[in-house]
Amino acid sequence: MLERTLVQSAGFRNTGEEGARSGFELRLRLPSYRGLRASLVDGVDVVVDGEEFGHEANRYLIGDAEFTLDQLREAADVRWPMDEAGVVRIARAGGLAPGVHEVTVRVRIQQSYIPIEFQPSVFVESRYATVVQP
Amino acid sequence: MSPAFKYGVSLYSFTDDFGTVMTLEDSVAAIADLGATGIEILGEGHVGGYPETSAAWIDNWFTLLDKYKLEPTNYGAWIDTRLYRTRKMTAQQGAADLARDLRLAARLGFRYVRPKIGVVSFDLVPDPIWEEAIERCLDLAHELDIVICPEIHAPTPIRHPVVESYIEFIERTKTKNFGLLIDTGIFQDRPLPYFPGETPEMRRDFLDGIKVPPKDFLAIAQYVVFIQAKFHAIDETLTDANIPWESIVPMLKQAGYSGYLSSEYEGERSPWRALEQVRRQHALIRKLEREYDARLKQEGDAK
Repeated sequence: MLERTLVQSAGFRNTGEEGARSGFELRLRLPSYRGLRASLVDGVDVVVDGEEFGHEANRYLIGDAEFTLDQLREAADVRWPMDEAGVVRIARAGGLAPGVHEVTVRVRIQQSYIPIEFQPSVFVESRYATVVQP
Repeated sequence: MSPAFKYGVSLYSFTDDFGTVMTLEDSVAAIADLGATGIEILGEGHVGGYPETSAAWIDNWFTLLDKYKLEPTNYGAWIDTRLYRTRKMTAQQGAADLARDLRLAARLGFRYVRPKIGVVSFDLVPDPIWEEAIERCLDLAHELDIVICPEIHAPTPIRHPVVESYIEFIERTKTKNFGLLIDTGIFQDRPLPYFPGETPEMRRDFLDGIKVPPKDFLAIAQYVVFIQAKFHAIDETLTDANIPWESIVPMLKQAGYSGYLSSEYEGERSPWRALEQVRRQHALIRKLEREYDARLKQEGDAK
């Protein structure tokens, strides 16, 4: 089972070679009551300790496939199931310092049955999460 | 005595708990413990591996239904008309998605399928593909013995062109495989509390309640096949903060409604809160149903 928070504790880590980190990633529970086709997910803004990483530049891993935002918006045949975490990959030279960070996500979802004026629905959550390895 | 309601629960009630602090079996056991007989699910929310479900998942589903003596009621599906940014969904695509869900719902034993259809206006007029998409599926629904039932949901009231267009569709096609699903949120007559982070500027009017008069149900009762008993908060005196059950229940009884009331808890999402809230709702509605029957009997005896 997944954690109840959107951002999962496990999987918050630096990416790239140790000593030359290129960024970090986090695992995310879908903020919905159902699974979604990937094209209905309009990206995720991530804020770490006040530093903003907008949804346009982040990359998204659903199942085994990685998507840019534009690719995600076209991925109408890819499903993000409720019981699987997706991964948000963020570019940041050097990655994050080991230790506890304040992490906020803004997950943007297109819901066909809500008037377009109110879309995308943005689900916001903040938590502390810990990077263990440099 | 008027016919009795059937009592069920939608797994939607356990949103955020399901798959984090509750398994499918935990949920099924909780519903059975209420003395309810029906379970409602969302295909893309609760069926493992959706839409290519494994034989093992289906075996386990029927094992659980048998063990806890529950019957499948309504299966929630979506016609996601905004699936493509650069083109519109066609009626054929909408029909193909719905047909896939009808087949899966039938394999899992469901009798009703609610398609949630994308909207094109502020007052929730469905995408015009709805009519052709559903009409293309009527023969399949007939073959599978399923009733397709779009929901009438706030801010759409009962007296509204959307409802009229669904009724015209039934009258035109003479189908027995399409009906109305009523979400009791339309009867909400007191405001919902602000959700975390919501400000007055963000407030959508209908969250204050669209206050459909319960008696409006009588005019469409013959078309209603399923009721989602939407609610948000019931306190320890069995008082619902938003939904006027004390006027809804007698009206449903008067209309002779004998289908399901399937709980849809949509209140605060702290862990396990829904479990207790659903119990309170069933206790409240069952009490009002008993009181109605007792009054009717008293009046009968007096004659």
